[in-house]
Amino acid sequence: MVGSFAGTRRVSASAYFSGVAMATLLGIAAAMFLRPAFGHTVLQLVGLETVPQAAPGSFYTVRVAPLFEAHCISCHGGERQKAELRLDSFAAVMRGGKHGAVITPNIAKDSSLFTRITLPATDDRAMPPSGKTPLSKDDVTVIRLWIAAGASGTLPVKAIKGAPALVVPVKMPELDLAAVQRQRAPLANEVSRLQGRFPGVIHYDSRSSADLEIDASLKGAAFGDSDLKALLPLRDRIVSANLSGTGVTDASAPLLASMKSLRVLRLMNTKTTDATVAALASSKRLKVLAVAKATPAALAPLRQRGVRVYEDVDVR
Amino acid sequence: MMGKVESQSDLLQRLHCQAQNRRQFVGWGAGGLGAFFMNTAYAAQQPATSSGLTFKRDPSTPLSVLPPQFPAKVKRVIYLHMGGAPSQLELFDHKPTLSRFNGHDCPQSFLKGKRFAFIRGVPKMLGPMFPFHQTGKNGTWISDRLPHTERLIDDLCLIKSMKTDQFNHAPAQLLVQTGDARTGHASLGSWVTYGLGSENQNLPGFIVLASSGPGPTANAGKPLWGSGFLPSVYQGVECRSAGEPVLYLNNPHDVSRTQRRHVLDAVDEINRQTHAEFGNPETVARIAQYELAFRMQVEATEAMDIRREPAAVLARYGAEPGKNSYANNCVVARRLAERGVRFIQLYHWGWDSHGSPTDEGINIGFVNRCRETDQPTAALLADLKSRGLLEDTLVIWGGEFGRTPMEDNHGGSNEISKYIGRDHHTAAFTIWMTGGGVKSGMVYGETDDMGYEVVKDPVEVRDLHATILYLLGFDYQKLNYPYQGLDQKLTGVKPARVVSEILT
Repeated sequence: MVGSFAGTRRVSASAYFSGVAMATLLGIAAAMFLRPAFGHTVLQLVGLETVPQAAPGSFYTVRVAPLFEAHCISCHGGERQKAELRLDSFAAVMRGGKHGAVITPNIAKDSSLFTRITLPATDDRAMPPSGKTPLSKDDVTVIRLWIAAGASGTLPVKAIKGAPALVVPVKMPELDLAAVQRQRAPLANEVSRLQGRFPGVIHYDSRSSADLEIDASLKGAAFGDSDLKALLPLRDRIVSANLSGTGVTDASAPLLASMKSLRVLRLMNTKTTDATVAALASSKRLKVLAVAKATPAALAPLRQRGVRVYEDVDVR
Repeated sequence: MMGKVESQSDLLQRLHCQAQNRRQFVGWGAGGLGAFFMNTAYAAQQPATSSGLTFKRDPSTPLSVLPPQFPAKVKRVIYLHMGGAPSQLELFDHKPTLSRFNGHDCPQSFLKGKRFAFIRGVPKMLGPMFPFHQTGKNGTWISDRLPHTERLIDDLCLIKSMKTDQFNHAPAQLLVQTGDARTGHASLGSWVTYGLGSENQNLPGFIVLASSGPGPTANAGKPLWGSGFLPSVYQGVECRSAGEPVLYLNNPHDVSRTQRRHVLDAVDEINRQTHAEFGNPETVARIAQYELAFRMQVEATEAMDIRREPAAVLARYGAEPGKNSYANNCVVARRLAERGVRFIQLYHWGWDSHGSPTDEGINIGFVNRCRETDQPTAALLADLKSRGLLEDTLVIWGGEFGRTPMEDNHGGSNEISKYIGRDHHTAAFTIWMTGGGVKSGMVYGETDDMGYEVVKDPVEVRDLHATILYLLGFDYQKLNYPYQGLDQKLTGVKPARVVSEILT
């Protein structure tokens, strides 16, 4: 058998390798033709096609990409590429997968991505598959509007009308204890001294700030003007003061008015009068005021400024 | 095996031996095994979690106030749990299409692959039993069953898209109240008092007030307000609105307060010695509990005594001193809120409207539950609002699940039953919230035309919990407690979401 090849023409190395190269290129070309997604990847790799990029602030970046991120990329992303489809970049979305492009700009119903996410949950081809969190009606609307507007990566958010309101996730502030400590430092000694003197009355309003809340309402009449006066060193930091039911009188009005950060003040069931209310006219930050006895005339300027006023209505 | 008859001296001998062994064991324990055990117990008191937030306190003041993680919108919570689950389709979720299909067979698509607590076979669709109308500034739909609450509709935030995965009362109640359908988890109120403490050191930080219609009461029992894996000092204390507020709190007949003080001093001394010897912080916590109970004898009695309210106030609530009623509990709830109690949990049982016995009829029992709760709820809200307390109080109203848009046909044929009912429904129910940080006059979420499934903005129970904790100033992922190798959280291990759309 070996001998049967002996008479054949010998192929030179260069001819052999160029043949193989040709065959490989032909194979790649065929694959590019059969799998447009692959074709685009190749063209983008060799620089013959620009890689589509989504612009920051575009409708795609702000509204569409987060939906893919939340619902799709666990199967169509960096870790797994089911049906050779990735949805973790604008280029990949537009490139499509094993079965070709998944987005047909301007025509949502011709875009397989859109038809798959709108199939009834009972359909085997519905996406995301059963067991995964489905897209909401609003999510589907966002994707439909985006495709209908040309599936652009640059069109700004405002250019597409009629999209459901964007849900902005709540930001949970990170706790920087060192920074908080620095903010608290100037008053820290005074705060802890007065906390010792008035147990349960003075607290920081949170672990992330140096602002203070005072609540003497449980002390009753035993907490009076002179006690409040003792808190003078803290006054700039007090954001909320509950003095309802205490022995505080109009004599404390100047001190209360000088608490420049005060947002909430409660004076229900105290002997304070219009005099205190009048003094508070200069409290720029005040948002909530609960008073004992005050005339509508005295309260009017505060109400006008948007302070929410509560009056002691019950006879006790 | 012991003989049939144990003589007196044998018995004494045996008890003595047991006591000796116990003492020896404890004695060795102080050095060896016991020290190991104590260290674990001590570690449990001073948890180190990955969040970096500590909840360490002096064991003698376990309820002392700790500031929240970030500035809070609300300082306290009043949770009005309607036990047994009221029908959203007769109160808030207006479904005219369902009326049109009243009496039709339920479509197969509603039944395929679904399980219900009682419905078997093909039930009939059941249209809303009471007329709806639009009310308030935003034209919010509401039925005619809640005329008093309706007046405050512009203050409420309705969530019509609540979902749960438990279709039986006890697990569903546990899920809503503890974040898990099984017992052993810490309740919402326990988490909140653990995280924040309580302003009033003379009252428990977490108080439970229960009332009921004639039907069954707390299906899941006391674990609903249990502390689970948290230290027991954070469990809810059940108080009664009639008779003694806390059972066995008052001194026995002929025992004076001074005598009680002497007894406590002696007990405290023994406990202090025990603590000096073994160093178990639970012993100090016990001293603290005895002292709290002693202070409560005065404070709780005063706080719970609604006779101190003006008659006009009681009339607004429909409260009658001496009765055990939801109305009385609502008055007490406001008094407790004013006195710095952190978490006030009300239960009103008897909403389970299956339609079999009279009191489970939507046309009878349900109507009565509405009547028992509507006016007091509205009076409580109005009171909190007028006193400015709604600025920093969160009020939540809701059951543990919803009711089906189909008629419940258990207990006989529909044709002959004069009581109408609905089965338990997990796929959609309505709750409302109001108070600091929550948008008022809002309707969030939507169900389909039959009221069967949520079609817009679903809210899982864990999302509700995350939102409540957020309003109290906590990232739900950071309020945790190490137990069984896991940083336990109210929301469990599945990702939750703060429902930012309903926040101001």
